[in-house]
This record gives sequence, C-alpha cells and structure tokens, in this order.
Amino acid sequence: MTTDNVHEKALVRLDHARKSFGDNEVLKDISLSVHPGEVVAIIGPSGGGKSTLLRCCTLLERLDGGTLAFDDLVVASDEGGRAKYGSASVLKEAKSRFGLVFQNFNLFPHYTVMKNITDAPLHVQKRGKEEVFAEARALLAKMGLEGKEGMVPCELSGGQQQRVAIARALALNPDVLFFDEPTSALDPELTKEVLKVIRELAAERMTMVIVTHEMSFARDVADHIIFMDGGVIVEEGPASEVINHPQHNRTRAFLNNYEN
Amino acid sequence: MEFSTMMNLLMSGLFFTAQIFFTTLIGALPLGVVVALARMSSCKPLALVTRFYISVMRGTPLMLQLMALMFGPYYLLGLNMGNDWKYIACSVGFILNYAAYFAEIYRSGIQSIPRGQYEAAEVLGYSRGQTFMKIVLPQVVKRILPAMSNEIITLVKDTSLAFVLGIMEMFSQAKALAASQVSMVPYVIAGAIYWVLNLVIEVVLTRIEKRLNYYHD
Repeated sequence: MTTDNVHEKALVRLDHARKSFGDNEVLKDISLSVHPGEVVAIIGPSGGGKSTLLRCCTLLERLDGGTLAFDDLVVASDEGGRAKYGSASVLKEAKSRFGLVFQNFNLFPHYTVMKNITDAPLHVQKRGKEEVFAEARALLAKMGLEGKEGMVPCELSGGQQQRVAIARALALNPDVLFFDEPTSALDPELTKEVLKVIRELAAERMTMVIVTHEMSFARDVADHIIFMDGGVIVEEGPASEVINHPQHNRTRAFLNNYEN
Repeated sequence: MEFSTMMNLLMSGLFFTAQIFFTTLIGALPLGVVVALARMSSCKPLALVTRFYISVMRGTPLMLQLMALMFGPYYLLGLNMGNDWKYIACSVGFILNYAAYFAEIYRSGIQSIPRGQYEAAEVLGYSRGQTFMKIVLPQVVKRILPAMSNEIITLVKDTSLAFVLGIMEMFSQAKALAASQVSMVPYVIAGAIYWVLNLVIEVVLTRIEKRLNYYHD
C-alpha cells in the first residue's frame, strides 16, 4: 500500500476520489492502491465514508471526481476535474476483476447454494459447466459447506450464508475481493467462522479490501490499515502500527472504543 | 324443456366464458409486465401516461369500457365494424382492463424486492435483462401470487359482463333460459358452475403457492 510508488502494479488504484450526496461531501480526495496479495482493512466510525468508498470501488456508486483503475483497466478517468467513466464493455470487464461480499449476504433466496455460486460463472462469464461445477464444489469444501449444495439460503445459519456469499464472489475468479462489514450482521460465534475463512484466504495471498469493525481481526489479518473519518483518510500504515501506536488523536479516540 | 337441453345451452355458454377467461389471461398477464415497467419508467412522460391509463381502467366500470369499445367506432367514426366486432371489443376490453390491475400488482411485487438483490446481481455482472428475468421475476411471482389469485377469481365472474355485448356466454344463456322457462334453476346451475370453476382455480393456485414455499426470505 504505497501511493507514492506509482509504477508498482496495483490491482486497484483510486486517485483523488471525490463523492458527494447532495451537499454532503462523503469522500474528499481519497487515494489508495491495493497490490497483489495485499490485505487492506478500512476502519473508522460510521458515516466516515468507508462504505461509500467501497461502493465506489465496486461500481455501485459513481465518483464525482478522480480516477479508478483495476490493474491496466481504466474505469474512470479525470476529465476537467470530473470523473469520466468508460463504456459499458469496460464496466463489464471491470466487474469480472473484483468480487464484493455484502454485510447482509444478499444471496439469491430462490436459488440453491450451488446455483447461487454457479449461475454467474455459467451465464455471465459463459464458462463450461463441468469446470464451473468442479470449481464450485472445491470452493464449498474450502468454505466448510460440504453437503449444503442443494439447500436454499433460508435453511442456513447467517455464518453459513456469508460463507456461501464469499464462495459466490470467488467463483468468478476475481483479482480482488471487497468485503463490506462482512460480520456486522452476525453474532460472535458466527463471526468467528466467517473470519476464519477470510484468514485462510489471506494466508493464500488473496488480495482483499475489508471494511470492518473487528479491530483485532484487522490487526491480525491486514497488511495495511486505513483509518477513515469525515470523508478523508486520517491515518494509514502497517496494521500493527496503526492499531497499537496510532499517531492521530482521532484514531486514538476511535480505537479507545474497542478493547484490543 | 329437458334438463339435458338446458345443460347443453349452459355448456355452450361456458365455452365462451372459458374463451374470454383464457384470452384475457394470455393477453393481460404479459401486457401487465409492460405496463408495470412503463409505470416505473424513469421517462417521466411515459410513466405519467401509463399512470393515467391505469387510473382510467381502474376508475371506470369495465361494463362501460366494453360498451365504449363496442360502439365507439360507430359513434365516433361512423364505422360499421361487422358482426364479429363484439368478440374483438370484448377481448380488447378485458385485456386492457386486467392488464392495468395486473400491472399494479406486479409493481408492488417488483418494488418489494430488496435493493441488495439488484446490487448483488450488478456486482456479479448480470445484465439488466438477466437480473430481471433470473433474479427479480421469480421472487416477484412468489410474492404476488395471493393477490393474483384474487384477480383471477374475479375474472371468472367478470366474464359475465360480456352479456352487455350480446355474447352468449354462460350468464347470458342462464338469463335467457330463466326468462323462457320462468325458473330459477338455470341461475342456480350457472352459479354452481362459476363456483366450481373458482374452486378448481383456488386449489391449483394454492398448490403453486405451496410449491414456491421451498424458500422464504
């Protein structure tokens, strides 16, 4: 996570991002880049712009200004201070580069676990059936969900649902995986099983950007932590440094709310 | 008159009743989707025109709409539409009217699907068409089925309004028989047949509802 080293390959590169909702400026000149194998955690108080940042990165919201690129694919470029987005085909290509795991899972309730995972690879990426199903079964095993293929989401616990959602995102073979508070809808026990899966992905050097309120998890798993408040990056750096030795008062005040 | 003759006449009426019923469903079920989408369109004039159409269809009697279609061409344009026009006027009238009701039910269903479903589909790269057909529509069907059952049952009974166009559906037959035989029996039998038809529809729709109960959200 080095914004100064522009020549290094970055799977996600956001520069001078600005976003307002009406008069409310939610992102004020945010820059970040995520490198292969890196795990970035974004922490900070509610309303600080974390979720909006993630939604802009995943194209659910559009930037007002700034640039956004996935590796060599430029999604939004700067045109006279305004962000200009690429064509529909560029946006479609970009969506195959990343995955997003939601706070509320957002699984398709009418699809079985297997169909939730395989439908997009089959009908969006138009990949072969055998390959997709073999991969899906491997993902389910990895998520500890063997035997759940034929179940529908409402038959699963929240933790299991979130693991299906992670498998669904991974099934598209993204370069980078975004998580929007993946455990906020779960009780502590279910949180544990989801965090375990994310830890395993981190150990495999999966590139991830995680918005989270789990401070000890962020410290353990993330290479780099970004503390956001008031639409700006207040402080960032190596995980243990930001959590254990915060430099800014706002970071300290925020971290005091958590027991480490 | 023999009972069997009476039954034969009522059955020939039932044929037209069934024809109106199925024509209306075949026309209005898909047309309702188009109307619902137009009603929710971000194109303001289109949404407004559609709203007006729905308002008129729901706000005036179907019987009046049928009469307007039947005699409008003659009174307004001086056109003589011929003998079979009543069947066309009847089909068009029923389809336009029911499409408006179906559209509002579809709209309530579509708008009840959480935003997260659209966002998940978008992030996974589904096209707008795929999102609607694969993700939204199947969930909408489950949600609107009880409301649709209501409308479909009402439609069975509304077919009797074709009486005003001189179409000899079951109610018209029953009325003619009752007058000629000076008897309540034709009405009783017709009433029983309507009820049995709706009983069958109830059973079928309940079965579909049960089949869709393999999930909840």
